[in-house]
Amino acid sequence: MKKMDIHNLTAKDIKKLHVWLRALIQVLYFLFIPSVYTAAFAGVKYIFTQIGAGEKVSMTSFVTVLVVICIYTILFGRFFCGFACAFGTLGDGVHALYVWICKKIKKKPLQIADAWTEKLCYLKYIVLALISILCFAGVYSEAKGTSPWDVFSMLHAGNFKLGGYLVGLVLLVLIIAGMCFEERFFCRNFCPMGAVFSLLPVLPFFALHRDRENCIKGCKACTKKCPSNIGLPEDGSPKVEGDCFQCQKCIDTCPKGNIHTGVKGLCGNEFWFTILRAVILLMLLLWLGV
Amino acid sequence: MREFWVRLVSMLAIVGVLLGYNSVLDARAKEDEIARLSAQVVGNGQSDSENGDSTNYKDGTYTGEADGFGGTIQVEVKIEKSKIAEINVVSAEKEDGAYLSMAKDIIPKIIDAQSADVDTISGATFSSTGIKNASEQALEKAVK
Repeated sequence: MKKMDIHNLTAKDIKKLHVWLRALIQVLYFLFIPSVYTAAFAGVKYIFTQIGAGEKVSMTSFVTVLVVICIYTILFGRFFCGFACAFGTLGDGVHALYVWICKKIKKKPLQIADAWTEKLCYLKYIVLALISILCFAGVYSEAKGTSPWDVFSMLHAGNFKLGGYLVGLVLLVLIIAGMCFEERFFCRNFCPMGAVFSLLPVLPFFALHRDRENCIKGCKACTKKCPSNIGLPEDGSPKVEGDCFQCQKCIDTCPKGNIHTGVKGLCGNEFWFTILRAVILLMLLLWLGV
Repeated sequence: MREFWVRLVSMLAIVGVLLGYNSVLDARAKEDEIARLSAQVVGNGQSDSENGDSTNYKDGTYTGEADGFGGTIQVEVKIEKSKIAEINVVSAEKEDGAYLSMAKDIIPKIIDAQSADVDTISGATFSSTGIKNASEQALEKAVK
């Protein structure tokens, strides 16, 4: 019995350690490298704008960021989304704050029904298609002031001259409201860059799988914990979930420790692997001069 | 596994289309260049002299500053032989790397036009507007 206690405590400690590590990485990226998401997406917009205007698509700094982040994602999964994206971190922060406040005032946090979220998540492809078409038609620049990301970037940079950005500001407020009621509300449902990532051919080496045969019958702990409600593919399956943000909460949630990456040797070393991936990403971004 | 291959092939197709698109444009640009040059050879005497400088600036180095995205952008404009020879961004601390390097594309535009009255760079509107306005301010000081 005593042994069991100690074991539980360590598992809890490991979980805590992972939570703090993730929060630390997220906060650092949020403070110091907040613009990768907008730069990468500016790359997408640039490509469509150039083609629409019949101009050459050169390797501008935006396109370079886009290409590098896509290659990184193909290799490691959407680690960027889960750990480094400023907008994702904003969502996690807002959601955590909302849940904390609800706990304090002893109210049950409101949630968007699963039936809704399952459909909502296709909206991101529509957002991506819409923006691409606007860029291609060469009218996107006239929609200036409607982008919630511009408003967010401006606020983040300490620029409060938001005249002409009313629509963008309203959208940002709506998105932040949504972030309260669903974890990763924006990333799952509206992020056009997420739409791009979720269509990439992500390699299966570091994608998460579970040893389903070993599961407790009827247990859905990982799916419940998952911000994207993913039921992970089974061991040995080459399937990779496009909506997995690599937040890795499922790993520590599983009561039987069934969840692991395609490369089994990493099991138990998730802590170091997370740091390694964060450092590799940091090196890439510094090299790009973002 | 099929899903992965479908995605891989689609992605490669997109990259291929983009590269193909670029090479077509390159070929076209080359043809245009050849056409332009041969027209020049035929038209012989007409040189592409650089006349019509209505703007005359005083030689020297001038600085100017303006608001960019997150803060102030400071530029340095060098005037040589009454012309804009060089524009350097001296400081842009609050600007973002990727955006700033994109925005700097406006500098050759200004030098070509010999005026700060040029279109901004789409995608990096704030930073390029900052460079543009800062250059304008510097050029005001340089007017004879």
